[in-house]
Amino acid sequence: MKKSLFFVLAVVMVAALVLSACATPATPTAAPTQAAPTSAPTAVEPTQAPPAVAGITKVNFWHSMAGDIGGKAIPQMTNDFNASQDKCYVVYSYAGSYDDSLNKLKAGLQSKDTPTVIQLYDIGTRLMVDLDVAEPVQNYIDAEKYDVSDLEPNVLAYYTVNGKQYSMPFNTSTPMLYFNKDMFTKAGLDPANPPKTFEEFAAAARKLTVKNADGTSSVYGGAFAIYGWFFEQFLAVSGGEYVNNGNGRDAAATAATFNSPEGVAILDWWKAMFDEGILANYGRTTVDTRNAFLAGQTAMFIDSTAVLRGMMDGAAGKFEIGTAFLPRPNAEALTKYGTIIGGGSLWIIKDRPQAEKDCAWEYIKFMSSAPQQAYWQTMSGYFPIRKTAYTEKLAVDWMAKYPPFTTAIDQLHAAPNNRVTNGGLIGVFPEARATIESTIEDVLSGKATSKEALDKAAEAVTSAITEYNLSMGIK
Amino acid sequence: MRLSFQAKNTLNSIFWYLLLIVAAIAVLFPVWSAINISLLNDTQVASFPPKLFPTQFDLTNFKRAMEQAPLGRYMLNSVVQSGLVMLGQLLTASLAAYAFAFINFKYKNILFLVFLSTMMIPWEATIIPNYLLIKKLGWTDTFQGLAVPFMATGFGTFLLRQFFLKIPMELRDAAVMDGCGHLRFLWKIVLPLGRPALGTLAVYSFLQTYNQYLWPLLITNKESMRTVQIGIALLQDEERFMFNNVMAGVVIILIPTFLLFIVSNRQLIRGLTAGAVKG
Repeated sequence: MKKSLFFVLAVVMVAALVLSACATPATPTAAPTQAAPTSAPTAVEPTQAPPAVAGITKVNFWHSMAGDIGGKAIPQMTNDFNASQDKCYVVYSYAGSYDDSLNKLKAGLQSKDTPTVIQLYDIGTRLMVDLDVAEPVQNYIDAEKYDVSDLEPNVLAYYTVNGKQYSMPFNTSTPMLYFNKDMFTKAGLDPANPPKTFEEFAAAARKLTVKNADGTSSVYGGAFAIYGWFFEQFLAVSGGEYVNNGNGRDAAATAATFNSPEGVAILDWWKAMFDEGILANYGRTTVDTRNAFLAGQTAMFIDSTAVLRGMMDGAAGKFEIGTAFLPRPNAEALTKYGTIIGGGSLWIIKDRPQAEKDCAWEYIKFMSSAPQQAYWQTMSGYFPIRKTAYTEKLAVDWMAKYPPFTTAIDQLHAAPNNRVTNGGLIGVFPEARATIESTIEDVLSGKATSKEALDKAAEAVTSAITEYNLSMGIK
Repeated sequence: MRLSFQAKNTLNSIFWYLLLIVAAIAVLFPVWSAINISLLNDTQVASFPPKLFPTQFDLTNFKRAMEQAPLGRYMLNSVVQSGLVMLGQLLTASLAAYAFAFINFKYKNILFLVFLSTMMIPWEATIIPNYLLIKKLGWTDTFQGLAVPFMATGFGTFLLRQFFLKIPMELRDAAVMDGCGHLRFLWKIVLPLGRPALGTLAVYSFLQTYNQYLWPLLITNKESMRTVQIGIALLQDEERFMFNNVMAGVVIILIPTFLLFIVSNRQLIRGLTAGAVKG
C-alpha cells in the first residue's frame, strides 16, 4: 500500500498545480483583451491574430517596453500596421530590459536566431555599429529619398554615426527639473520662476528645506538619484564632453574626458548641497526618488521627461507639479549648450533576408509617422520624433491635459546641435555609467574629493575604452 | 517564591510561543507587504509614512496587471515547465543516487566526484552552449526546450544519495535474498523511505525553475510560451514604475507556489514522523 502512496501524492500534487493554474487564467483571458484608448477593434492578447494572407513576409520585432506601453501601445501600433498591410506581418515580442535584449541578440547572432527589427537603448549605439550587425536606415532613406526634414534634427543626430543614420529614433526623452508648486509658494518662492542655474537651484533648495530641531531635515529642498545619465546631462549643459575626439563622433573615442573642470564643478555642487542637508540621496534607483517626491519628502528632483505623466497622475489631488529646464552652471549655458536626448531607437538587422528588411523599413516608417508618434506620446510620455506629430489631435489634447510637458519640447528645441549635445559615443557605456555612479557615491560619502574620484573614474573608463577598441579592432 | 513545575512549564511555552510569533511575523511580513501594496491605489502607494493596511478592497491593480501581461497563460507555462523539471529531476536523481548508494562498481567514488563537480560549474557558463543546442534541435518555443536542460542535477543526486546511505544495507540484503531486483527495491523500499528527501528536492527544483528568468527569455519569443518571471518584468515600466501594479502581479504568481507549499508541507512532515517511529 505504501508503495503507491508517494506516487499518488506526486500525481495529485502536479495535478493540483496544473489545475490551479488552469483555474486562475479563466478571468485573465477575458480581461486582457485590452481597453484600447484610441481606436481599432483588434484584440491583442494573449497572442496576436495570425496573418491574414498566406505567404506574407513575417518579421520579428523585439522591444524592451514594459507596463502599459509594452502591454498596450506596442501591440496596438503593431496590429494597426499589420491591418494596413498585405505584404508584411510584424510579430512583436518583449525581449526583457535593453540589457537583456542585447544579450539575447548576441546569443542569437551565433545561431542566426535574430529579429529583423530590434529596439535598443541610446547607449548601445556604438556597440551596434562596431558589431556590424545593423543595416543603416540611411541606405533606405537614400534609396527612397525619404524626407527626414520633419524629424527632430537633435534626435536624428544622436543616432548618426560616421555621417550615416544608423537607426531610427523611436522613444526619446531628456531630463528636466520637476518641482512641487505648492511647496514653492509656501516657501515664498515663485512657481512661475523656477531655478535656472546651479546657484539658483541651491538657493531654492535651501529655502524649501524644512529642518527639525536636531538639525536633520524633514523635507529636503531637492533630491538627485545617483544615476550616470544625470551626470552626463549635467556635463552636457555645462559644455563638457564625455570622451575625446569630439565626444567620440569625429573619430572613435580613445579616452574619457569627463574629469574636466566642468565635471568636477558638478560633483562639488552636488556634494555641497548634500553636506548642507538640502539635497537628499535616495540611492541609485530613480523610482525611489520619484516616490519620495510624491510623498512630499522632497520639493525638487530631476528625471526623464517621460516620467511626467506618471508623476502628474500620482500627485493628482495632492499637489501641483511644475517643470523647468535642467539647471545649468550659468545663465549663458542656457543658449550655448543643452541636454542630450536619451531613450531608444529601432535597428534593422542586416543578416535577415531582403524581403524581411524591406518590411522592417515599412514598419519603421509606420512607427515614425505623425499619427503613430502622437499616439505613442500620449501613451508613454516620450516626445514625438516628428514635428508635425504635435499638430495631431491626440497630441494637442494630451498637451492640454499635461501642460508641463511643453518644457520638455522647449528644452529639446532650445538645445543647439553640436558635439556636446550629440552626446558621447562609446561602446562601453553601461560600464562607464556604473563607474560614474560609484564615483558619485564615493564623493557624497567623503571617501574622495570630486577631482580625485573623477580622475580615478576617467582612468577606469579610458582603460575600458582601450580594451574595447582593441577587441573590436579599432585603431 | 518557587514556581511549581506546571507554572514553569507554562512560562516556558509562553516564551517559546512569543519567539515563534516574532519569527512568524518576520517571515510573513514581505508577503503581507506584497498583498498590502497590491491593494493600494496610485496615490496611496507613494504616501509617507507608508500605509501598512489597505483602506479599501480594490482589485484595479490586479486587473491592470492582467491587462499588461497575460499572466494566466504565463503561469500555466511556468507550472508545466517547473512540473516537468521536478519530475525529471526526481527520476534521474533517484536512479543515480540509488546506484551511488547501493551498487558497487569500478570508479564509483571518482564518478561521484565528477557528479559533484558539476555543481561548481556556474550556470552562466553553460547557458550559451545549451541555447545553441536547443536551437539546433529546433526546440525553441517549446516545453521540452524550457525543461529538458534542467532535468538532471548533481545537487539532487548528492542530496538523495546522502539520504539513501542511511537506509541499512541489511534491508537490501534481505530483499535480494527474497529475489527482489534493483528497480523493485528502489520503488518499494527506498523511495517510500526517502520521502522527505524527495519532497525537499521536489520543492527545491520546482521553485528554482519557477523563478527562472534568463533561460525562458532566451529560448522563447512567442507570447504563448512565455513564463511568469518575464511577465513580472513586463510589468516593470521604467518610466512609470507602479509598485502596486507589480505587486499585484507578484501576488498572482505566488498562488502556485503556495499550493505547492501546502501540499508538500504535509508530505515533508509525514516523512519526518515516519522516520521517527521507525527509530
